[in-house]
Amino acid sequence: MAAPSSSSSSSPVLSLWKAYHQNTSDRLKFIDSFLIFLMISGIIQFVYCVLVTNFPFNAFLAGFSSTVGQFVLTASLRSQVNPENKGVFKDVSPERAFSDFVLGSIVLHFFVFNFLG
Amino acid sequence: MKLLSPLLLLAAAVNASILTLQSPKFTIATKDGQQSRSEPISLAQKPSPLHLSQTDILKLTFQIVDKSSGNGVQPRQVFLRFYDEESGEEGIQPLRVASTGKVKFDLDMSKPPLSIPPTSTAPLEVSLFIGGSTTSTSYSPLKMDLFSLHIPASHPVPPHPDEASFHLLPEIEHTFRPDPKLPPTFISAVFAGAVIAAPWIVLLGLWFSLPSLPLPSLASPSILPFTLSIGAFEFLLYKYWVELKLGDVLFYGAILGGVTVFTGRTALRAVEQRRVGK
Repeated sequence: MAAPSSSSSSSPVLSLWKAYHQNTSDRLKFIDSFLIFLMISGIIQFVYCVLVTNFPFNAFLAGFSSTVGQFVLTASLRSQVNPENKGVFKDVSPERAFSDFVLGSIVLHFFVFNFLG
Repeated sequence: MKLLSPLLLLAAAVNASILTLQSPKFTIATKDGQQSRSEPISLAQKPSPLHLSQTDILKLTFQIVDKSSGNGVQPRQVFLRFYDEESGEEGIQPLRVASTGKVKFDLDMSKPPLSIPPTSTAPLEVSLFIGGSTTSTSYSPLKMDLFSLHIPASHPVPPHPDEASFHLLPEIEHTFRPDPKLPPTFISAVFAGAVIAAPWIVLLGLWFSLPSLPLPSLASPSILPFTLSIGAFEFLLYKYWVELKLGDVLFYGAILGGVTVFTGRTALRAVEQRRVGK
């Protein structure tokens, strides 16, 4: 029977949180903080667009898509750098993954600045 | 003789025969035969304007003759033109000519012919047009103004459905969407601050909560140039946003890209050595 999720210390959410903290290396937590940073930035921009105004629309698109694109690139870097995934990414060394991440980020930034106006 | 015949033909063409009317006459009578007016039409001076009412009949008779010989002529085209100078409306009535050149035309106002144009109170100018050569001789065309005719006014002409497009059309007034309004400065400033500051606060808080920042020693000589080239790329993009054109950016970007490849290879090779060596 599933335990009630409100007070028990073995609730699923809490045990997920504890497992994450114990089993994730500092490098991956470093990348995860950056992912959270991007998510919060994107959410605040979206809330502004919905609540206040979407003028100028191109600026919103540029800012929002920059957070989304960077999130995608960082997530792929994280999965390629994670030592537990070494079996999946046999030909990709972490350094190669990082250089791909840098190249992709520069191209993304170029397009975002183009659209920013 | 050979030279003379073309000259004779030329002389004949120059002296083309002239038509004229013999004894032109008009009569205005009512249906029961009562004649109210009967005059010959003088070709030199127009008669006074004629007036027809609903019950009147206008009878027109004349004979078309050759001016020089006096013989009757039957030209192919004989028309009577009714022209309203005020409105510009006109009607053409073809007349039948006998072989002797005699023409008789009846205008019955109780049964007006289709050729009468729509009229108002303005008079119609009636003129005669004769043209067309007979088989043997050629006659120069004849136009003759006969008289002015007042007939009862007709119903006004209904305007043609396309009439409006032939006059000046009303000016087109465009309505444009109003310019988008900027939100109040305070709200926009609050949200700008939120977007810039809040994520950074969260990020730095999370980073410094980690026991050790897993950054490779960024200042070491093998890695620093790489970091600087990446920073230079960001600076180039900022300059692009502010002032540069696309061509310049691509040019500088290509140069910087070449430099970054070399610095990147040294930096990442150093990191790999450190990782493998560990």
